[in-house]
Amino acid sequence: MEKVLIIGGGAGGIILANSLDPKDYNVTVVDKDEYHYYQPWYLYVAFKGSKRKIGKPIASLLKPGIRYVKDEITEINLNERKAYGSLRITYDYDYIIIATGTSPDPDPIPGLREVFNEYGDYHTSVQNSLKLWNHIKNFKGGTIAIGQASPTCKCPPSLLEGAFQLEEYLNKKGLKSKTKIKFFTPFPRAYPAEPMNKVVEPMVEERGIEVMPFFDLDTVDNEKKILTSIEGDTINYDLPIIVPPCKGTKIKILPEGLQNEDRFIISDKYTMKIKGFDNAFAVGDANNLPTSKTGVTAHLEAKVVANIIQGKYDKFTGRINCPFDTAYGKATFVIADYDNPVAPYPPTRMKHFMKMSMARIYWMTLRGYADPIFDFYFDFTNPVKLNEKYATS
Amino acid sequence: MTDVKLIDSRGAACPGPITDLARAYRNSKVGDMLELWATDKGVKADTEAWAKKTGNEIVEIKEEPDKIIVKIKILKR
Ligand SMILES: Cc1cc2nc3c(=O)[nH]c(=O)nc-3n(C[C@H](O)[C@H](O)[C@H](O)COP(=O)(O)OP(=O)(O)OC[C@H]3O[C@@H](n4cnc5c(N)ncnc54)[C@H](O)[C@@H]3O)c2cc1C
Repeated sequence: MEKVLIIGGGAGGIILANSLDPKDYNVTVVDKDEYHYYQPWYLYVAFKGSKRKIGKPIASLLKPGIRYVKDEITEINLNERKAYGSLRITYDYDYIIIATGTSPDPDPIPGLREVFNEYGDYHTSVQNSLKLWNHIKNFKGGTIAIGQASPTCKCPPSLLEGAFQLEEYLNKKGLKSKTKIKFFTPFPRAYPAEPMNKVVEPMVEERGIEVMPFFDLDTVDNEKKILTSIEGDTINYDLPIIVPPCKGTKIKILPEGLQNEDRFIISDKYTMKIKGFDNAFAVGDANNLPTSKTGVTAHLEAKVVANIIQGKYDKFTGRINCPFDTAYGKATFVIADYDNPVAPYPPTRMKHFMKMSMARIYWMTLRGYADPIFDFYFDFTNPVKLNEKYATS
Repeated sequence: MTDVKLIDSRGAACPGPITDLARAYRNSKVGDMLELWATDKGVKADTEAWAKKTGNEIVEIKEEPDKIIVKIKILKR
């Protein structure tokens, strides 16, 4: 039986594992953590203090017959088809899939480590989200600087979602008149893709969120409480909410030269094959595909790779489908693919209901039980159709 | 010698070419030349706004059938 080795039991790794039949393949999933977390919920932990349980043991999410090993992989040699970790095991394989997600790295930005340790964020873990919630819930007024510290970040809508959740919270607490929210972004506008920006910009203005465009964070001075950008602008803050830069895996990958400057793995945008290899793939946030880093893309990429391994022709379209909670009970979705731009899809209560339902359906999705619903949904919301309907009006 | 750094953003729609440009800018130095390739039509307006904001120079914007090429000279970093 062919051996399939999957590094990472996140959204991409688990969906891929469960898409292969353990009667036909010997599948092993290696993850350094025992638990898998539903990351989109970090937002509601950080801004609403949600106590929902969002972690489940990885082993419980895998089909019977698939092996889970708790180990941190440190080196992969693609020529020798071997991987090594902190346990004294040599993993060999016929196919390898690297699905290690992103790792937060505040260190390239002077001063950010200190702020990150003190305030947490809403992007990296339950603990960090709780840390931030403790600051938000005790906040009495002042200037809040909120934004991403580098252009590469997972789930592009989640940054502004944070500002929207924050505004809703402060409004309900009666703190709005005592607070300034400054949303900083390295992009030219509040939401990077122009068609979606047109949809959300009026909300940003109406809610009094001040946008600081082209603000690419350079340094943080936590003593004087000032953020400075590469472009030379500054923000004085009382409360900093900063999502640290997202980097790729720290695993040593041989041969060298297969990772970009942020350590994302260089792979084919249609097949996810790692450059120069037919039996090695990088799936989800870990790769350098020119698309958003989201669970949906990890899911769709995993399905394509599972088909390729089984000898079926398949190709990833670059499809993104990011839910965008615009607060006050409404949401929209950012939908596009490699060939079609983002459609200006308006926020509704129904879409908010769908985003909230996802927290439940998610666990079924990982096991593959929700596939028929998704196939229908992805076709129904195809970016060509959406652009025909909304882009011209 | 000036470095010409090619940034291939073809096919990137969201967040798009400006992500790659901002990343390249972070790693650049005064005198560098950046050449950005994109298919997203918004790239022209966005790079122009970016150059104005950052004080860098757009040397040329060329439209080819399959891509838009923006050449940028780094004057400030
Ligand atoms: C606030 C927030 C909101 C979001 N909202 C959405 C949303 O609404 N919709 C959406 O589609 N996406 C959303 N996302 C993005 C989504 O969560 C990620 O894109 C998705 O989890 C990526 O899946 P992945 O499998 O690539 O990586 P991950 O799910 O991050 O999994 C990577 C796994 O690899 C393991 N690992 C890493 N290194 C090693 C190693 N060396 N050895 C062994 N194991 C290792 C990790 O422990 C982890 O379990 C959101 C993210 C955030 C933070």
